[in-house]
Amino acid sequence: MSSMHALQKMIAARAKPSRPHAVAGEYLEIEPDIFSVIVSFNATEARHLTANLADLGVKQLPIKHKIIAFSDHGSPAPSAAAAEGHKLWRDFFRAYGVEVIDGGAGISHLVLAERGIAGPGDIVINQDSHAPTVGAIGAFGTSLGGGRMMLYALGRYWIEVPKVVLVTLEGRLRPGVYGRDVALHVNGVLGQQGALGMGLEFGGSYVTEASMDMRFTLCNMGTEMGAVSSYIQPDATTLAWLQPRCKKPYTVFETDHDFAYESTHAIDVAAIEPQVAVPHACDDVKPVSAVAGRRIDQAYLGSCASGRLEDIATAAALIKGRKVHPDVRLIVTPGSREVLMAATRAGYIDTLHEANAIVTNANCGACPGIHGGILAPGEVAISTSTRNNKGRMGKGAEIYLASPATVVASAIAGCIANPRDYL
Amino acid sequence: MKLTGKAWKFAQEDISTDLIRGKAWSHLPAKEQGAHCLEEVDPAFAAQAAPGDFIVAGKNFGCGSSTAAHVAVIGLGIGAVIAESLGKLFITNAASAGLWAVSCPGIIDVVNAGDRIELDTASWQLRNLTSGKTIAANPLPGFLGEMIELGGEKNYLRARLAREAAG
Ligand code: SF4
Repeated sequence: MSSMHALQKMIAARAKPSRPHAVAGEYLEIEPDIFSVIVSFNATEARHLTANLADLGVKQLPIKHKIIAFSDHGSPAPSAAAAEGHKLWRDFFRAYGVEVIDGGAGISHLVLAERGIAGPGDIVINQDSHAPTVGAIGAFGTSLGGGRMMLYALGRYWIEVPKVVLVTLEGRLRPGVYGRDVALHVNGVLGQQGALGMGLEFGGSYVTEASMDMRFTLCNMGTEMGAVSSYIQPDATTLAWLQPRCKKPYTVFETDHDFAYESTHAIDVAAIEPQVAVPHACDDVKPVSAVAGRRIDQAYLGSCASGRLEDIATAAALIKGRKVHPDVRLIVTPGSREVLMAATRAGYIDTLHEANAIVTNANCGACPGIHGGILAPGEVAISTSTRNNKGRMGKGAEIYLASPATVVASAIAGCIANPRDYL
Repeated sequence: MKLTGKAWKFAQEDISTDLIRGKAWSHLPAKEQGAHCLEEVDPAFAAQAAPGDFIVAGKNFGCGSSTAAHVAVIGLGIGAVIAESLGKLFITNAASAGLWAVSCPGIIDVVNAGDRIELDTASWQLRNLTSGKTIAANPLPGFLGEMIELGGEKNYLRARLAREAAG
């Protein structure tokens, strides 16, 4: 029998019926540990789902205690239409007894891990596409396209057992270079199809030494390389982070020592400069020096890629005693209330206010382009968010992706700037 | 089953869901979304495509967010999407709504714009009726095929709930 990856073992363990073995390429029906859904704008979809479940005769959701709804995209509602959508979804969830995590709690991917809702070995199906983020704690986080009704009505989903790509990151970062630069660099090296339909594991000495915040950042970007799930093998750092958070029993799976990866990429992180993904592709990645001086109108720090405490700490340290350029809006959106509270206690939020940054409540913020920080045609943003697809933050606008340090340095300079000049 | 249609070719790679259907149109009824289908890539496409036509695409078609861009494709009446490779979310989104989205490595080299092509979802052979060439598509798993043939996820669930109730 061929050897298995930890991600494959998780699927085999959750298969219905459960199986000792799973082979890449086969589809297995599973019951997830968590089905994370969105209190969305889409009123039509809420109406359809309600009508469809009634039509199918479904009165109880078989896994309702495993379903959690997050109000993270465009929340609180920025328009009357959005409010109507939110209301219909809340009504739907309440009617079926589904827990709604509302009121500025933050982005699903952060909250699931921070609150110990997800643990290592869990299969977390997330309606949102950055589901792989929870791979940082050794969970199988995957997004879904179709199959939502099946999860509501049957509590089941199907997963294609993935092949796995390994990226080993060796060495220490130079000053001014952060985990987000590594993630952008990896995206540039692998491209948008580098892990298409596969699992994506990060290992190597950089990962071993990296904080959990940066591990989440790495795993988050798996989505942008086409990965169905990201993975970092849990170690002492993971378990220490989980200890006060995850109170439920969990299983740390391990990859068989002779597992055959689909491909491996070795990257020396000591050679990396601050990185920028230029419009309009997340894998069109250049060293910051190649685009330095480009005018910007808005700088955004937030999202499930880079809305964590370490990101805000980096930003605050860099902007302390300086001001945002008068022609630039610097918007800072913590990823979760936990992050916002910790950043407030540490004084980072005051520092940001003093520098004239706009600090918002915890949510997806400007990332999805549906509220708080939409760009006008012709405007240019530098952002720590996940994607720079054409039109994402506003029709006719341009988005450069970079680390929190590069975003803040640029906000001070009024144009794309190298954070190393501000250390 | 066998499906035939005229090919519209989008050879470029990484056409994301945002490019398939701009976010600005997501609130519109499916038919009206269809009028904006792929407009960022080819502004003339939606007005000229006829019901039953196929989209033939390059690698990683439908990548990016899980937004319901397939609704615009269905709204336009497209019979099937056949690509070098597809975003995983797009495949299941499409199947769930009863749209064939099939990956077929090599398709870009054997199909020209305007060719008539035939997809056999039993043998998973794709035949270019214009040139006579055939190529193998990647089979979809049985349950997804069943879902699409039944017209989507709801009908599949209805059939399955009935099967399970009958034991
Ligand atoms: S922050 Fe952006 S990428 Fe992350 S879940 Fe929200 S909208 Fe999606």
